[in-house]
Amino acid sequence: MVTYTLKRLGAALLTLLIIMTITFFLMNAIPGSPFLTEKSTPQQIALANAKYGLDKPLIVQLKNYVVNYLKGDLGTSLKMQEGTPVRDIIFHQDKFIISIKLGLLSLAVAVILGIPLGCIAAYNRGSWLDGFLRVMTTVGVAIPGFVLATMLLWIFAVKLGWLPTISGQLPDFKSYIMPVISMSFYYVCYVAKLTRTSMLDAINQDYIRTARAKGVKTKMIILKHALRNSLIPVITYLGPVTAGIITGSFVVESTFSIPGLGKYYVQCVMSRDYPVIMATTVVLSALVIFMNLVVDIAYKIVDPRITLTNKED
Amino acid sequence: MADFSKVSPFQVDPSAIEEAMLLTPEDFAPASEGEKESMVEKRKSVSYWRDAARRFKANTVSMVALFIFLACLFFAFIGPKLIPYSYGDQYRSSQKLGPGEYSEGETLVKNASANFDVFYATALQPGSLTALSKGDHYFTYKGRTYAFTCEKNYEDVIVAIPKGESEPVLIRQADIDPATGAVAKSEPIAVTDTPAEGATELKMVSRVFPHVFGTDSVGRDLMARTMYGARVSILIGIMAALIVLIIGSIYGAISGLAGGAVDFVMMRIVELIYSIPEVLIVLLLQVVLREPLQLWIDHSDSALAHAAGALGSGIICIFITFALLYWVTMARIVRGQVLQLRKQEYVTAAIALGAGNKRIIKRHLLPNCVGALVITTCLQIPSAIFLESFLSFLGLGVSAPMASLGSLCSDALPTITLYPYRLICPAIILTVIVLTLNLVGDGLRDALDPRLKK
Repeated sequence: MVTYTLKRLGAALLTLLIIMTITFFLMNAIPGSPFLTEKSTPQQIALANAKYGLDKPLIVQLKNYVVNYLKGDLGTSLKMQEGTPVRDIIFHQDKFIISIKLGLLSLAVAVILGIPLGCIAAYNRGSWLDGFLRVMTTVGVAIPGFVLATMLLWIFAVKLGWLPTISGQLPDFKSYIMPVISMSFYYVCYVAKLTRTSMLDAINQDYIRTARAKGVKTKMIILKHALRNSLIPVITYLGPVTAGIITGSFVVESTFSIPGLGKYYVQCVMSRDYPVIMATTVVLSALVIFMNLVVDIAYKIVDPRITLTNKED
Repeated sequence: MADFSKVSPFQVDPSAIEEAMLLTPEDFAPASEGEKESMVEKRKSVSYWRDAARRFKANTVSMVALFIFLACLFFAFIGPKLIPYSYGDQYRSSQKLGPGEYSEGETLVKNASANFDVFYATALQPGSLTALSKGDHYFTYKGRTYAFTCEKNYEDVIVAIPKGESEPVLIRQADIDPATGAVAKSEPIAVTDTPAEGATELKMVSRVFPHVFGTDSVGRDLMARTMYGARVSILIGIMAALIVLIIGSIYGAISGLAGGAVDFVMMRIVELIYSIPEVLIVLLLQVVLREPLQLWIDHSDSALAHAAGALGSGIICIFITFALLYWVTMARIVRGQVLQLRKQEYVTAAIALGAGNKRIIKRHLLPNCVGALVITTCLQIPSAIFLESFLSFLGLGVSAPMASLGSLCSDALPTITLYPYRLICPAIILTVIVLTLNLVGDGLRDALDPRLKK
């Protein structure tokens, strides 16, 4: 277990390094210089390049990034907030906190609503409730996040006026409702679908029949015997969910005017603020990779039969 | 003759068995005609595809979804030919119309049209924003060609043929009574039968068509734009799925078949790509590739560059993204299938007969995992449409005057308080396309691979 975790940690670091390299070359391939404005002269650009080390060969720049990141230094912003350390932009300004709050809430909603809904559907298999949930989840995974977000905005904020059109810094409970729903709905549906399928699989197993024969109540069978065994596909899916929720945050933040990290990332890319692009990519990638790692280890806890060393096929 | 019928399973009598085992020359006689006939299969054998089609047809939900999707295809591909508006043209005085409305000029013409057989290009119609310009024009109606020359530029005029007459007249829009549609005066046009060199053809419109989905702020018809956007989205989905299919299946097949160190390295690469949060890279790629692509499109003379130019750099970026990042799921599925299949006897037999790797992949492995390939490709289309609309919504996909369903939604967002229908129409079409494709994909999975059915 420990060896496995260490191995996976090593692989995760390697992945991060490769992501850093890709990001570095991609962002340097964006045409133009971050210091190019209508008034700037070639000398000024050269000076600015020298100041931030952009005149050095690319490979040296990349090495500097890696070395500095290992030291915990994320550099300073070139454009968006000139001179501010990137670490402050990401961790001490509200952007990251807002995005993380929204993301974690959506993830929690997806799990807390999705799994019970799937259980209910499997438990009442063939009933109208199962039918309704099936229609809902099927339609739910076909609605793009931005369509849902804009529809919610139109109905609840514009037409009915119950909720604010601009969520901004998320000052109160009301401003959370629509962003969280639009970020998590797809995943609630998907998780419910997955849970239902794997729950039905589990219900057909022999040990469930044994439990029934012993006279255990159906509710207890579902909660104690079937649920735990049907959680594996759901847990596997949580890795992609994290990545997906980051994606969702890009749309939701622009629809509800939330000044989060997603929106900031797009602006940074547009203005070629190299250190901020790099730091945001690395931090968000690290989040996704970390989540994948947690998922792999959670497997083992849920189902000790899984051997972690060769989980290939 | 060997006859086991006397051997009772309950009372084993060794002598009876011995007797039964005795073979006589009759046992080796050729089969009679009657015996041969009883061996022939009465039922025609059902092929894999016919069997799958039968299962698919029995699935009501998937069949309904398929028909709705075909209706969407009709809307996207045939629809633009049926309405007189085009996606990029800005129609005069048609700005900001609601669903099903006519512009002022169109209402006039609609009212007046009771008195005329046919209308020709006016300020209302596609491609003639400046009304009739100075110069030669012609049109054909009921087999006859009408050619005429305009002495000056006209604004807001209509060429029409009055009911029962054969000579066209020119009507100024100001001469039409807004309330009744009665025409106060009209001037006859001198027409000839042969159009002059370089004359422009006028497009016939016998009836004024409403703007079913309304128009946008610059007077473009939203139904035409939605049809066009649906077409772009569907084509992007299909193209992207094909790219994924080609790259993923080749990669997966090679990896699965090669095994050993090659497989190990190839799968580590897949895992690496799998754990990259693709949206961040996609956004970067979109920004990085846009300008170089545009340069290449503008300056290269190759046919490829022309084809790319017709699509626009945004769409090419999406394809490149799919080619770089999205084939990994397909590769994993194909590899899994190949690993299963390559242990089968017929592959061993092929190897024993001296078949090369290429032949084994092409003849034996890929055809046998075709079910999985079809299913994954079909389910890839909606996810490609999802990604495209997401990028267009963020302003990184297709660029104006082109439209996709995502960019239409994105365009409509700022004015959602005033014109919600501009958002709702494309959003519903997008959802219906994705939903039906998902359902068709599910149905295909059940039909092609019944083992997977839950």
